[in-house]
Amino acid sequence: MSINEHIEHKIFHVELQTPKQNVKTLPELQENLDQFARKYTTLLDQGHCVCITDNPMGLLSFQGTEVIKELGLPCPAGQVSVHLNTFHTPADLQRIIDDCLKLGIGNLLIISGDGSDRLPKLQPQDVAADEAASVTSVELIRHIRQRWNGQFELGVAFNPYEPFDHEMEKMRRKIDAGAQFIVTQPILGRHEMLDKLLKLVDMPVVVEAWMSKKLHLLSLCVGYEIPEDTVHNPMDTLKQLVQNYPGCGLYLSMLGYKTQLPHLRKVWN
Amino acid sequence: MKIVVCVKQVPATHDVSIDPETKRLIREGVAAEINPFDYYAIEQGVRMREQHGGEVIVLTMGPPQAADAVREAIACETDRGILLSDRAFAGSDTWATSYALACAIRQIGGVDLVLCGKQAVDGDTAQVGPGIAAHLDWPQVTYVSSVSLVNVGCLNVRRMYEDGYELVEVHLPAVLTVVKEINTPRVPTLTGRIASLKADVPVLGPSDIAADAGLLGLNGSPTRVVKTNPPPPRAAKSVRLEGPSRDVAKRIVYEMRMLSLI
Repeated sequence: MSINEHIEHKIFHVELQTPKQNVKTLPELQENLDQFARKYTTLLDQGHCVCITDNPMGLLSFQGTEVIKELGLPCPAGQVSVHLNTFHTPADLQRIIDDCLKLGIGNLLIISGDGSDRLPKLQPQDVAADEAASVTSVELIRHIRQRWNGQFELGVAFNPYEPFDHEMEKMRRKIDAGAQFIVTQPILGRHEMLDKLLKLVDMPVVVEAWMSKKLHLLSLCVGYEIPEDTVHNPMDTLKQLVQNYPGCGLYLSMLGYKTQLPHLRKVWN
Repeated sequence: MKIVVCVKQVPATHDVSIDPETKRLIREGVAAEINPFDYYAIEQGVRMREQHGGEVIVLTMGPPQAADAVREAIACETDRGILLSDRAFAGSDTWATSYALACAIRQIGGVDLVLCGKQAVDGDTAQVGPGIAAHLDWPQVTYVSSVSLVNVGCLNVRRMYEDGYELVEVHLPAVLTVVKEINTPRVPTLTGRIASLKADVPVLGPSDIAADAGLLGLNGSPTRVVKTNPPPPRAAKSVRLEGPSRDVAKRIVYEMRMLSLI
């Protein structure tokens, strides 16, 4: 199922992080894996698309396809998407792609990513981009398009909190490299840069909704300090996004599985 | 090929304090991690096993929590690990440390190759690897950036020095210390992490490795840290530029060009 079909059928993209690697005991790891499996299958059962992150914020986590295989989790066509960043060895990149193909995961969100000292970085020669100074999402998309042409639908990120001209120049390069859909950073109700983007691009756009009440956690993302006591009703914000961006998909981060998941269908149906 | 990789657990923070009496780092209660350079030694050992067969054993000396460093190495696909931990080892300088590690390596038996990271980021001495070689009376090559097996019992290694590289042939058994250029360390997989959490990490004391207690710990350390001083604050000159951002940006570029930074 393509992103366009996700939007047409009002299928939420729900972000799901794999367990972190900094576990000290086997029971703790097992509990974390069990929790991941519960959330994963719940999301699939409710018809959503599970979007699995890739070492978010440079925090060493288990790789999504490996967790799916280890736990024997299902991968219904079009219901699983994997983030893929540039912090991998060439061997790991190959393994992730191979696993995605075997599992039938056809949707990848390609991002440059946040590295750390412990995460190796792809080098230009690893993705046949010898002329590039370093590997960003642009080089990675191009490499995947050239190497596995037509086997994946490739998405890229859009950050409305960066200077518009710079962000659009990056977007132009991403599209030239083969991007086929766009996922935004969290949008609170409406953002003029997103409005401009929608007029300029002719491809599916998925808008991220921040589903945590802790809005101050977005301070780094938006580039200004949000006071910790800022009141934020995520479900209201989600409803605003549905209203303001009717032709867009919706990507939910920090979803509350007990308090919010049961009510999603009322918001977008 | 039986390979021993020596690793060290170091503070995971720069915010450490020195014991005023022993002049040693206070490690208790401080978050710890594997010495970053040791990941390259671990990776090198695992790659050599993958290419030539054999076994990779990780070895460390430290307090009980240093078992985490052993498990981290097992998560990175070493076969097993050993922790040397006993009050008798406490306060060891690099000579006493390398003596204890050498005793353990003798006790393991049949070791062909010892790999160490270039240096530990807390002590920065780069002495333990050479110390192990001295205690074992084995050849050593430091700052190794590549290794290839010539034939059974002989390696060709490329060694970095200030002006370039030298190619060295070394007969086994030997000790190598490795630099970052040698490889790109793998990230543990879920399978590796599960194996590390299930692994049994034996804890050995002086009697288990036939070590002379008089050559361990503070008493076995010929060096003494008599004083530590923080480095003097950098006398950095700073200039604050104000004005419209476009003008400031031009000025910054100008200043960087004048300093030949760009």
